[in-house]
Amino acid sequence: MDIPVLDSKISPAKAHAIFQQEFFPHMDAMYNFALKLTNDEDEAQDLVQDTCMKAYRFIHSFEPGTYAKAWLFRILKNNFINDYRKKSRGPSKVEFEWVEQSITGDEDSEPAYQADLQAETVNEMLGDEITAAIQALPVDFRMIIILCDLEEFSYEEMARILNIPIGTVRSRLHRARALLKESLANYAKTKGYV
Amino acid sequence: MKTNCTQHKECLQVIQRILDKEATDEEVARFMANKDQCLPCQEGYDLELSLKKAIKNNCSVSCPSDLFARIKTKLFLVLILISILIPLFC
Repeated sequence: MDIPVLDSKISPAKAHAIFQQEFFPHMDAMYNFALKLTNDEDEAQDLVQDTCMKAYRFIHSFEPGTYAKAWLFRILKNNFINDYRKKSRGPSKVEFEWVEQSITGDEDSEPAYQADLQAETVNEMLGDEITAAIQALPVDFRMIIILCDLEEFSYEEMARILNIPIGTVRSRLHRARALLKESLANYAKTKGYV
Repeated sequence: MKTNCTQHKECLQVIQRILDKEATDEEVARFMANKDQCLPCQEGYDLELSLKKAIKNNCSVSCPSDLFARIKTKLFLVLILISILIPLFC
């Protein structure tokens, strides 16, 4: 068993209380985020377990009463980037280009298309179809859509979790949504929704 | 009603900030006043809202109960072990 470093500042009883009160209520959200990142149930389980052990190791840096969910998500994201992303396939060329565009914030790099998609079409789609479209996005875009639309983090919280400027959060989110709408529009055409 | 929006790209960014609860009160008021007069903005707002709701309602899964139990057990064992070791080193 990988035993976390002893930390005399936090007693085992206090650590246990912090887990019970602050961390365990977010297990569903953590697992869901891990699953969306890895696309694999076994890897998601390992990622959540590793994240909990790391949360214990660094528990001295957590301030009770602050936003535990954002703190945990940041550990999970770093854990994924450092350990899990390397194991899976590297970022595709498309993924790299899109992220680069997001980072530079180059307005000219805005996708040329305007997704031909209506609210009614989205409302008619099944949950599995929406989920599949999100899962098909490059991981950096998948990540930011989940953080914003599912977990409802603020832009500032997302900037902290992802360790990027708020301007990059805005542009990456905008591009992620554009790509998602394009993907759903193409899907809707092939399935005869429109 | 306008059927063409010359500032649709900017409007779309404002719509997303409004739905993300990141827009200023002034931005919200200005957009809402304009929305009723602009079809692309109305459709854009409805689409972004539908997409946000669809993601919120369809993309959640629960943590498997056996994983939660495993983590609790592992953590409990670590805490017990540390409770035993701390007096030996302090």
